[in-house]
Amino acid sequence: MSVSRTEDLSGTAAQSRSFSLGELVRRRPETITFTLLVAICVIVTIVNPAFLQPSTLIDIGRASVVMGLFALGVFVILAAGGIDVSFTAIAAFTMYSMTVLVQTYLPNLPIAVVILMAMFGGVALGVINGLLVHHLKVPSLIVTIGTQYLFRGFLLSFIGTVWIMSLPPQMGAFGRMPLFQIEAANGALITLPFYFLVLPIAAGVTWWILNRTLMGRAIFAVGGNADIASRLGYSLRTVHVFLFGYAGALAGLAGIIHVCANRQANPFDLVGTEINVIAAVVLGGARITGGTGTVLGTILGVLLIVVINSVLVMVGIPSTWQRLVVGSFILLAAAFFVTRQRKKQPSISGENP
Amino acid sequence: MAAQDNSAQHSAALLELRNIQKWFGGVHALRGIDLTLQPGEAYHLLGENGCGKSTVIKIMSGAHAPTSGEIVLGGETFASLTPIQSLAAGIETVYQDLSLLPNLTVAENVALNEQLVGANGRLARLFDRKRLKETAEKALAAVGLPTDRAFLNTIVSDLPLASRQLVAIARAIATRAKLVIMDEPTTSLTRREVDNLIHVVERLRSENVAVLFVTHKLDECYRIGGHAVVFRDGQCVAQGPIETYSKKELAELMTGRSIDAQRYRTGKPSDTDRLKVDRLVAHGVRETSFSVKKGEILGITGLADSGRNELAMALTGVVPATGGALTLDGKAVSVRSPAEAIQQGIGYVPEDRLAEGLFLDKSIFENEIALIVARLSNSFGVVDREEGRRIASRLSEEMRLNTRDIDLPVGALSGGNQQRVLIGRWLSIAPKLLVLHGPTVGVDVGSKDTIYRVIQTLAEAGMGLVIVSDDLPELLQNADRILVMNSGRVVAEMDAEQATEDQLYKAMLTTTTETVQ
Repeated sequence: MSVSRTEDLSGTAAQSRSFSLGELVRRRPETITFTLLVAICVIVTIVNPAFLQPSTLIDIGRASVVMGLFALGVFVILAAGGIDVSFTAIAAFTMYSMTVLVQTYLPNLPIAVVILMAMFGGVALGVINGLLVHHLKVPSLIVTIGTQYLFRGFLLSFIGTVWIMSLPPQMGAFGRMPLFQIEAANGALITLPFYFLVLPIAAGVTWWILNRTLMGRAIFAVGGNADIASRLGYSLRTVHVFLFGYAGALAGLAGIIHVCANRQANPFDLVGTEINVIAAVVLGGARITGGTGTVLGTILGVLLIVVINSVLVMVGIPSTWQRLVVGSFILLAAAFFVTRQRKKQPSISGENP
Repeated sequence: MAAQDNSAQHSAALLELRNIQKWFGGVHALRGIDLTLQPGEAYHLLGENGCGKSTVIKIMSGAHAPTSGEIVLGGETFASLTPIQSLAAGIETVYQDLSLLPNLTVAENVALNEQLVGANGRLARLFDRKRLKETAEKALAAVGLPTDRAFLNTIVSDLPLASRQLVAIARAIATRAKLVIMDEPTTSLTRREVDNLIHVVERLRSENVAVLFVTHKLDECYRIGGHAVVFRDGQCVAQGPIETYSKKELAELMTGRSIDAQRYRTGKPSDTDRLKVDRLVAHGVRETSFSVKKGEILGITGLADSGRNELAMALTGVVPATGGALTLDGKAVSVRSPAEAIQQGIGYVPEDRLAEGLFLDKSIFENEIALIVARLSNSFGVVDREEGRRIASRLSEEMRLNTRDIDLPVGALSGGNQQRVLIGRWLSIAPKLLVLHGPTVGVDVGSKDTIYRVIQTLAEAGMGLVIVSDDLPELLQNADRILVMNSGRVVAEMDAEQATEDQLYKAMLTTTTETVQ
């Protein structure tokens, strides 16, 4: 009997097998992101060939790290159908507290321990988010708006408001440690810092969790439909706690790297850049309603935003235009994804060929 | 409780429910259910909407915890189950909503749960893609779906409804299930797919798996055979081999009364058209024409994706039509929004009365006058409450609400009374045409009766009525004519007095592909 049935329904399968550009974009929306990225790079290179210099690329790489770490965290939460706007506050909290802690009490703490402690701090704050989201049954946007204020308020009221200009030496050294150096045409030494490696590693780990563990599948299941996922036996509590904990770890890591890279710790820093990060993730093809998206897309989205932010100046467009460009890209890409989605909407049965 | 378990084999019972009670807020959904399921047996859980069938399967699958009572599973006694406990014990459920994750692939939907249950719900485990593929292939082949890579990797939201139903069934049999619960598994299947499903069930039973069906389709129950379990108002009123009951007996057990007085329809439609629909086009509806006479009750049915819901929404401006013409009492009308529909005299009782129709925390009085507030207010916008209260009282009486207290919040009423409040609200503006969408969904038997009688009274007064429903007996009992929709078109028109459920089903289920073959 299965033979005849196979013939019956192979129409459906054939549909997904047939290859078309529209189908590709629908299933892998990050192709749009990639195309935009390439298009911008090509245009900028034509207008100003200096863009293709190693120094520009290294700048872009360096500038992507912190935003990329944030974006990975946001993406993981978005994949499960939530949203997080407290990650910058978590990063600010952990980076500043760690800097104060190291400077005042533990001047000889090795940098690896500093980083680990920052990540644990991030996990702790993230888990607070996760538990609140789960037990209050309040949308994560509201919860994380609340905790953003809370974490930041706690930081500024109880830990400090002083701008720390001279970092503990091990932190400064970490920020300067080179991965490799090249000599530019004008003789200046350009350094790709060691901390750059953190981004590809974090992206790899995130990809691995999402695609190779049950937790990863559970995250997408919850993003697809939380009620159904829970009915099927996925523990929403575990997923929520893990999600926000993991995003918190990434935020803590991003925070400490931000400090080391900038060689100063400003407690007023970072908060306010959430929308930029969420924009990058959405530009990378993840739907704001959850359940979709890829790590690759997220990284492409980050690169797109970083490139726009850093290269428009090179072609003579004033930096105030960055927002205009990013804004129109988001609208364009979103409109594009949505139309693709609507076209595929399986409606009445007879309509499909 | 009338029929206790046949004590002989209860030691080997797969699952036993003992005196299960369930309260939802003030609603007593299950009133002491005793039920024993044996391995390899088929059970048909029968009963009207709202009798507690869904609640009981949710208790078995761990989605709900009973308020009191015991569940005996594999020799252990539980007060309630978690989904993982239930799944680990081999209880698989195919829910009516299918419970598929729309954003995941077919293979993941079918086979991921095997790994989740294998890991006992713990998520810090590697995800075995090879095993996923193997399990999915096996299960899909068993229900007769393709097993090629492209199909395995299809995102479920891209599948047609019938395939989704089979995917849900494949998931249930992908693991070594001991009990497969199917909640109305055949609603969107074609006849051939139903045959296939029956084969699957036979195979499961030969492997000593018990199957519990929740269904309205008695013919299928007789074909499959096994035990009938009849629920009424949260109680189990009969249990026994299904062949020992006639259809009529089962229907009487379900409704709790003799259903000889089959047809409610009392009046006769006049000859003048109330509404003429000419080549109406809307999302999901393709060029549809029909008319409703004064005093006529027109039934419209079809599967969920047949376009019947969209048609109801297009007639009432909820989702406006994109083409075609409507003529009401000989006058061309445009209905671009619900507000316009109300102005023209077209009323709409939506399917989801809680989400779309009623203000639950507001009183009966406030709900009843919601449409006439403007008429009741003077030029300063002050509402004449006295007049409003008089109207609300009159409407409550006409609708035979079981309470005289119009200040009671609507949320405190039963589903049937809520529905009557909603219909009463429309009477306040005396519409020319009233579109009722699933008027008795989730309504108890007694209320059904009242609602049907009210509908007949309205038709006698000359109102045109359209009932959109998948409750076929409801249409057969109340309508003059029944239109059957399929793939966005009206594919059949039947005289309700002569039509049978079978004929209607056939028209609903005949897909274009099947007619070709």
